[in-house]
Amino acid sequence: MSATHSSGNRSHRRGASIGLAVRVAAAWGLVGVPLAWGVWQVFQKSLDLFR
Amino acid sequence: MALLSILDREHSIAGEHYSRWLVPPAALAIHLSIGQVYAFSVFNLPLSHAIGIKDSAPGDWKLSTIGWLFSVAIVFLGVSAALFGRWLEHAGPREAMFVSALCFGGGFEVGALGVATHQFWLVLLGYGVLGGIGLGIGYISPVSTLIKWFPDRPGMATGLAIMGFGGGAMIASPLSTMLMSHFRSPTSTGVAPTFAAMGLLYFLFMMFGVFTVRVPRRDWQPPGWQRSEKSRPLVTTGNVTADRAITTPQFWLLWAVLCLNVTAGIGVLGQASPMIQEMFSGSISANAAAGFVGLLSLANMGGRFVWSSFSDYIGRKGVYATFFLLGAALYAVVPSTGRAGNVVLFVAGYVVIISMYGGGFATIPAYLRDLFGTVQVGAIHGRLLTAWSTAGVLGPVLVNYIREYQIVHGVAKADAYTTTMHIMAALLVVGFICNLLVKPVDDRHLTTEQPAASTAALA
Repeated sequence: MSATHSSGNRSHRRGASIGLAVRVAAAWGLVGVPLAWGVWQVFQKSLDLFR
Repeated sequence: MALLSILDREHSIAGEHYSRWLVPPAALAIHLSIGQVYAFSVFNLPLSHAIGIKDSAPGDWKLSTIGWLFSVAIVFLGVSAALFGRWLEHAGPREAMFVSALCFGGGFEVGALGVATHQFWLVLLGYGVLGGIGLGIGYISPVSTLIKWFPDRPGMATGLAIMGFGGGAMIASPLSTMLMSHFRSPTSTGVAPTFAAMGLLYFLFMMFGVFTVRVPRRDWQPPGWQRSEKSRPLVTTGNVTADRAITTPQFWLLWAVLCLNVTAGIGVLGQASPMIQEMFSGSISANAAAGFVGLLSLANMGGRFVWSSFSDYIGRKGVYATFFLLGAALYAVVPSTGRAGNVVLFVAGYVVIISMYGGGFATIPAYLRDLFGTVQVGAIHGRLLTAWSTAGVLGPVLVNYIREYQIVHGVAKADAYTTTMHIMAALLVVGFICNLLVKPVDDRHLTTEQPAASTAALA
């Protein structure tokens, strides 16, 4: 009974940890994607400088 | 009111299953939004054609009048950061971010109404005053929270957030252009609906920051991290209140350090496009000059993260000493690369200079934390930002007036920048001396006040 309970806890912890990792990745994606788009726009414009 | 209570500090304390790596994206959401202010100039021409549409017509606002929108916003940034810093320490980051989002997003909406009805005072009230207050509160809102979550790497943490302020313009500039093209019609420049759309977009984006940010429990420490027993020079083990901090010589030395570093950088940023075109007359087009300005924006953003992270290893004093010495040397030498016609060296020199300008902004909160502790570091940072407002006036005025004076006295346009850059180098030498004079804060300034966090969590 105790072994089942402990294994259930472990799996619950692993699930929570995966959920948190996904949340962190999504949060970084939400700010990272527009920032990367802005950097790309600037980078394309700056190529004119060395042509 | 009960709904608003979820925003206060007590309701923002992180639970067990919260990662501190969620705080930097929350802070970035705020800073990427308010960083839009650096791209405001894309609205200048369309605003000056609001009635005439294709060209200015009688009754259209002049460019010099429109210029006040940016200046007033920056002044209100400095004033509100200084005034609301202590409130922020009490209210917590979530409430402060929410107020910032309301002011910044709402400022755009009021501004949109002003553009649609062609009432300049309404645009000034919206974007300049209300938006400027949003800028100031938003700028300082995540700083002390990040420092508390990352006691092991405060420079990197604040650099990540403040990097967003440098990067915000890179998103806002193409976004504004796209929206104006979408809304443009034979009878409208599209500025009013663009303002309205951006106000809503930024408000929603900032809400992500509001609902993601958390404050740590008072006893929280990063797993496996131990506060170093070995005392480090300049790093205080106590805390100083904001009211007390401004009576110390350290505060005013740092004020001068920030002001001089920003004065030198802002002078170059404001003149970057005409400067490269005049120094490489005939070989650099207006488009290529815009590319140069873009590269400087990238350097401004990247420098904020790179230099402030580096300060976690060599110390804040060491980083500022590098800014001032390397900066002075580059300001003295780079004009000669222009005279030699070497575009690559010229661009590389200014990229490094502007990376240090950005690095100066991002490293200052960690410097303040080292000297004054964490209790009111957000409020102290807010008061220090008045140095930015001062430099915002001083830098462009110095560059423009010195240059004009020389041209009037017969100096060629391309050569007029050389003296200006040498004066900037001299300013950086003064900054180096101020930084050298910074000593640890005297123990008599320390307070027994505890950080305003999480009493509920301790209960």
